[in-house]
Amino acid sequence: MNGVLAVLQKELLTYFRSPIAYFVLAVFFVGTGYFFTYNIFMTGDATMNETFLNMGILLIIVLPMVTMRLFAAEYSARTMELLSALPLKPRDIVLGKYLGAVAILLALTIGTTINLVPLYLFGQPETTSILSGYLGFLLLGLACLAVGQLFSALTQNQIVAALATICVLLGFWFVGYLQGFQHSYELRSLFRHLSFSLHYANFVQGLVRTESIAFYAAVCAIALTLNTSYLDWRR
Amino acid sequence: MITLESVSKRYGSRTIVEDLSFGVAKGEIVGFLGPNGAGKTTTMRMIAGVTAATTGRVMVAGYDMATENAQAARKIGYAPEHPPVYDALDVSAYLRFVARAKGVPRAEIAADLDYATSACRLESVFRKEVYKLSKGYRQRLGLAQALIGKPEALLLDEPTAGLDPGQIQETREVIRSFGRDHAVLLSTHILPEVTMICGRVAIIDHGRLLAIDSPDGLRRASEQSDCVALLVGAPATGLREALLSVDGVGAVQIDDAGGRSIRATCQVGARDGIEAAIARAVAARWELCRLERQQPTLENVFLQYVKADRVPGADS
Repeated sequence: MNGVLAVLQKELLTYFRSPIAYFVLAVFFVGTGYFFTYNIFMTGDATMNETFLNMGILLIIVLPMVTMRLFAAEYSARTMELLSALPLKPRDIVLGKYLGAVAILLALTIGTTINLVPLYLFGQPETTSILSGYLGFLLLGLACLAVGQLFSALTQNQIVAALATICVLLGFWFVGYLQGFQHSYELRSLFRHLSFSLHYANFVQGLVRTESIAFYAAVCAIALTLNTSYLDWRR
Repeated sequence: MITLESVSKRYGSRTIVEDLSFGVAKGEIVGFLGPNGAGKTTTMRMIAGVTAATTGRVMVAGYDMATENAQAARKIGYAPEHPPVYDALDVSAYLRFVARAKGVPRAEIAADLDYATSACRLESVFRKEVYKLSKGYRQRLGLAQALIGKPEALLLDEPTAGLDPGQIQETREVIRSFGRDHAVLLSTHILPEVTMICGRVAIIDHGRLLAIDSPDGLRRASEQSDCVALLVGAPATGLREALLSVDGVGAVQIDDAGGRSIRATCQVGARDGIEAAIARAVAARWELCRLERQQPTLENVFLQYVKADRVPGADS
């Protein structure tokens, strides 16, 4: 556990002593603020539903900027040599880095709650759907981070890591739309189950389904396990 | 402290290190020599646990690097050739991270940092961000992180590369003092450095160990390639035959530039008193102006081993 905490602390220091975290936070808050204002004035409803959907797609675009450096930068700066020589298990490194990225996700999440102030001041929003929306947002973010971290471990190039992550995440986001083109029930069901956006939409509508929680948890577990196994295999 | 038992490393069909066996004892500094691509860094990385040996066993302080990696890694300090430093952190945060990752108890971290920074003369840059450091300071920071956690064995891959002469001197002192009660494996291209600070030298090429002995032992072992250089007054007809007739003289090279003296070089064996025998044989018939025995430098010994290894079919 000490190893995880050491890596986590190092990650947090690295994030906040370089411009990347500030840049990601700024882009996300400006984007979310814009969508929130637009949606409120367009619909006139005191709801976060539309904004949550916009936040989801925005998350898929910005989180790869957070994860791209996690391992790729270690390879290119040759600091992976140090991490591998220290008495840290690959699991410690993967978890420490992941938790560091999760801290950025939490900062993103907490920052967006400022939108709730005018919502509660001037309207009567449905608190349960807001809570389930935030739960979905966090789960989606956790899955995106795990996938992004895995791709960062597979390449030395941060740009390649970011682009590969965005492609895969967009694929997972839009895979649900392929349902309409399928005759086979099995394929339709598969695409529905693999869809980041359909699971996320459930949360946004206030539905907290075990199936959706399990889906995001499985994505995280698979990506992080593959990440750990890859580091083991590299040795 | 460090033991390699028949260690090999292969990437696919490419063999980088082959059947390497040697050890570094506590209180010993072993120089690790070899041309570029000989497998030195791969060997160091295997000892440090960065990469696993394909076959064989690496033991550090009694722990098997393959099965007890965490325990073994705590006993080792590894300073790779390129300092593994984080530009975004400052020196103190970087060293603190290494200390925590090495499991140094919280109460001892400050003392450990003090020791490493003073040993590597980093006090003046302790609060400075790493990206602002000069190459020399980065190199020393790479060495300082290896000293954190009081390791019992130290692996240094070209630790003085890029340092100015003053810093090189200081770094050698650090290594020498550390080597008094720790095991140090030092990879370098600077052969005088090896002569100065290493008790033993291991020479590898093509991933195989060619020789391991003290610098003097290596020189002695290769004394068959010692030379005796002579300056003889001209003319000296029959000098070659006279030299070859001396017991222990191998090849003779005569360099007659047409001046007042002739230069001759004889390859001689390890026989005692061979210089006196040559001097008697020459002085009996010609004017002997100068005679000196030329011992091979470590550089010559190193090149001799490596060249012998690269001759097709040579037995190494």
